[in-house]
Amino acid sequence: MATSEHISKQFDADLENVRSQVLQMGGLVEGQLMAAIDTLMTGSEDLISRVIDTERRVNTIEKEIDDAITHVVARRQPAASDLRLIMGVSKIVTDLERIGDEAEKIARMARQIYGRGALSIPRSVDVRQSGHHASQALRRVLDAMARLDTGEAEKIIAEDKLIDTEFRAILRQLITYMMEDPRTISTALDIVWAAKAIERVGDHAKNIAEQVIYVVNGTDVRHTRASASTTAGDNA
Amino acid sequence: MTVWRLLALKFAMVALLAVGVGAWLTPLAGWITAFVALALLYTRHIHQLTRLEHWLKAPGIDNVPDAAGAWGVVFAGIYRALRREIRERDAVKHELELFMQAAQALPDGIVILDRGDELSWCNDTAARHLGVRPGGDYGLRLTNIVRVPRLAAFLQSANPDETLEYRPAANPGQVLSLKSIPFGKGRKLLVSLDVTQIERADTTRRDFIANVSHELRTPLTVIHGFLEHMRDAPVLPAEQARRHIALMSQQSDRMLKIVDDLLMLSRLEGGDAPHREEPVDVHAMLQALAEEARALSAGRHHIEVNIARGAAMSGSADELRSAFGNLVSNAVRYTPAGGRIALAWRIDEKNRPLFSVKDNGIGIAAEHIPRLTERFYRVDRGRSRETGGTGLGLAIVKHVLLRHQATLEIESALGTGSEFRVLFPYWRGNVAGATPTSNGASGAADVDAA
Repeated sequence: MATSEHISKQFDADLENVRSQVLQMGGLVEGQLMAAIDTLMTGSEDLISRVIDTERRVNTIEKEIDDAITHVVARRQPAASDLRLIMGVSKIVTDLERIGDEAEKIARMARQIYGRGALSIPRSVDVRQSGHHASQALRRVLDAMARLDTGEAEKIIAEDKLIDTEFRAILRQLITYMMEDPRTISTALDIVWAAKAIERVGDHAKNIAEQVIYVVNGTDVRHTRASASTTAGDNA
Repeated sequence: MTVWRLLALKFAMVALLAVGVGAWLTPLAGWITAFVALALLYTRHIHQLTRLEHWLKAPGIDNVPDAAGAWGVVFAGIYRALRREIRERDAVKHELELFMQAAQALPDGIVILDRGDELSWCNDTAARHLGVRPGGDYGLRLTNIVRVPRLAAFLQSANPDETLEYRPAANPGQVLSLKSIPFGKGRKLLVSLDVTQIERADTTRRDFIANVSHELRTPLTVIHGFLEHMRDAPVLPAEQARRHIALMSQQSDRMLKIVDDLLMLSRLEGGDAPHREEPVDVHAMLQALAEEARALSAGRHHIEVNIARGAAMSGSADELRSAFGNLVSNAVRYTPAGGRIALAWRIDEKNRPLFSVKDNGIGIAAEHIPRLTERFYRVDRGRSRETGGTGLGLAIVKHVLLRHQATLEIESALGTGSEFRVLFPYWRGNVAGATPTSNGASGAADVDAA
């Protein structure tokens, strides 16, 4: 009796450690993303290389967490909600790593833009705004994961559309710029890539939110926007 | 002892009764009487025992059974013990509440962490600082919510002499200093201190010396270069010499302006109240400022003035002119060509005089706004110097307004422009038109002179 209780306690600790590790990784990526968006505004070479270095650390941590997950699955054979947690977490890790990739991409674009010596960057305010929204979404989804708060996760899923709309608006405006003055084309294209990376961050945050809902409720809400809205209508 | 005595008395009574009946009738009748009496006594005990058992299922102070005799003594004892217990518990609870209220009232954030760094209690300040929810987040690991990579290692070390600087992402600009103090068995007390102001003051002080030196050095370097050049080549073509002198005097003007501004600042910082209260003809002053702004803008901006004739207030004309002038020239400097600048003076709904300068220029990012009035604080170093700012303008504005009990409100968004509003206390507007009131008759001349 005492030993089985001991084992289950150890198991809980293992699970909690994995979750903690993922959230720590999330914190690292969060900082990296915010720094990356800053580089778009400042072009600080120092910050750019820091963002790129962080990407390597993020990759190492991803591998560590994957190892830890494999260990838990192999040794404890989790079931039910524990299994869902492990499955969800392993997907969240992938999304976080991709966000790290996108942050690196943004920093590299900043290096290119400022390396070209372009002083005024068209639509930089909008990119910053959209970057702010994306990093906020990431922060909130990590909070939702720490608190297992599905209500917040659902809100984040709904608000991802805002970031998508912002991206399309930036794109439209940049196209106007490029048509007016072809000299801005290369810079504008770099900004499009950066804005696209930001938009992708929003998508990854949404994926994480979906995993949070799966972990808590056991329902898969991926690719079910229409049906989700009808059930919400039924409830009302 | 009392219970024992009461029981002994009962037995004595039963024995006496049995012996009495035995002596009066037959001995058998005596035995029967003794048996019946003991059985009755026993039944009563069982009854009381059942009541006690029943009470134990839901023990409370209000439903302690009551009885006569030996059981009454026992029940009363239970009641007293319970009452004492409750009183002590209330006292402890009260003390604990007092303690919690004290912890809640502390200006610093306090977090109590369990063995695995799980949140077990925090006060409201800590909740605000760290973004945790009191109650709702208890039991969660702190590092899961405050996801700074350094925090986990910092908590691990639990060294009370070490501090961790933490800048919450949710609240840009804020700087917290965290301290982790081990206590009890593996528990930690995390103290968070808002050092935003201290840090800012520190940086300002450090920056000030560096800035003053740098600001004065830049023009001096130019002058120095020309002088050296002149020493080495004493005879210069007249045209070139003129140009050099023009450039040098431009730089010396700049230095003069900086020193003037510094002197003005130190004078303003010296006293609390304006050195002179006089009626100020705001209408004339702002018209003059608008003219100056038009000259500075050289037709690049559309400048409109919306001031009622006869607008007036009381204050120091010199100081107000300097403050308003700085706001207006800032608007001209930071608005690209073709922009609009609007100066307005009105009395707001609370009867307070309000001066505003609104432009549709480059705007200011939110994180800069609280620091704008610091000396030499610049949002964009290169730009400010090239447009001829000293970096002291808004610091002067702040001090003038302080001396006039006025407040500065800044509303700005990047790319859409800024609005600077100066709100004076209502009584500063109590000046009859632009005509000097009796106590300020001598001030009229000063207004014209300014």
